[in-house]
Amino acid sequence: MSDVLTWLEATALATWTRQSSSLWAYPTVLTFHTVGLGIVVGASAVIDLRLLGVARKISLESLSGLFRLIAWAFALNAATGILLFMADATTKGRQPILYIKLSLIGLALWDTLYARRLLRAAPADDSVARHGRFVAVSSLILWTAAIAAGRLMAYV
Amino acid sequence: MEALVTWVQATWLSRQIVVNEWIWPAAETVHFIGLALVIGIIGFLDLRLIGFFPRVRIAAVRELIPYAIAGFVLNLITGVTFLIGHPEQYVYSLTWWLKVGSLVIAGLNAAVFEWAVAPRTVLLEPGEPTPLAAKCIGFISLTAWFGVLYCGRMLPFFGDSF
Repeated sequence: MSDVLTWLEATALATWTRQSSSLWAYPTVLTFHTVGLGIVVGASAVIDLRLLGVARKISLESLSGLFRLIAWAFALNAATGILLFMADATTKGRQPILYIKLSLIGLALWDTLYARRLLRAAPADDSVARHGRFVAVSSLILWTAAIAAGRLMAYV
Repeated sequence: MEALVTWVQATWLSRQIVVNEWIWPAAETVHFIGLALVIGIIGFLDLRLIGFFPRVRIAAVRELIPYAIAGFVLNLITGVTFLIGHPEQYVYSLTWWLKVGSLVIAGLNAAVFEWAVAPRTVLLEPGEPTPLAAKCIGFISLTAWFGVLYCGRMLPFFGDSF
């Protein structure tokens, strides 16, 4: 494990991300990671709020396009996240909070995929099943917790 | 400016923000949650104004705005916390002033939307094309908010803030 982390950190890509004085390196990667976070969590929050009964006049089906946006932003964050991890693999690979964050993201993503199923199978009267509220609340909690865990990586 | 910075740094509140080690990380976390609410909800309205998600009723999207405002208030409170804690990191930073400038543009743009464009735009039925003015408002808003985010995230790199 430790060997793999050391090797990752020594790769040309990791070294460039970490050491380059170019603004395109670490600062840009980190900024894209934040942009992706805003889109993934923010767009999910829009869907969750709708499932909780806010803005009822938005038809559930018309929101399904948001999932494509979420998927692109998530891909951006997976890519930038891998780069940020590689750049400091030996440090970050030993931070328990990273694994907590990844678990939270995994659960949140599962939740978001379930919400997508709910929206696609929405009945004609646009009513939300009782478990739809559970899906929305757990999504809000899990994405918020994932942000907190990610932010805390800089401090613990 | 220097006198003001020195005065703020000497206040009890500023000392507390610096001395209590948990305040900064907690405020950062809340700042990112607020960011997601603002970008997600305002960004969704902007995309709708530009012409994406044509089947979504614009009047209904506006019901989400209070949650974006809640996110913005969280960010205003936590942002002022950072400013009081370490004013010297921000007031001498061009990047920070660009962030404030982008915020002002986003705010003025939202005001123009509310007063001049929203009254007719919210009447549109799903599927109706949005007027050019609404598309411009949406584009300016998206650009300004991503500018706010970009400048904020770049603060540690175009200067020495943390």
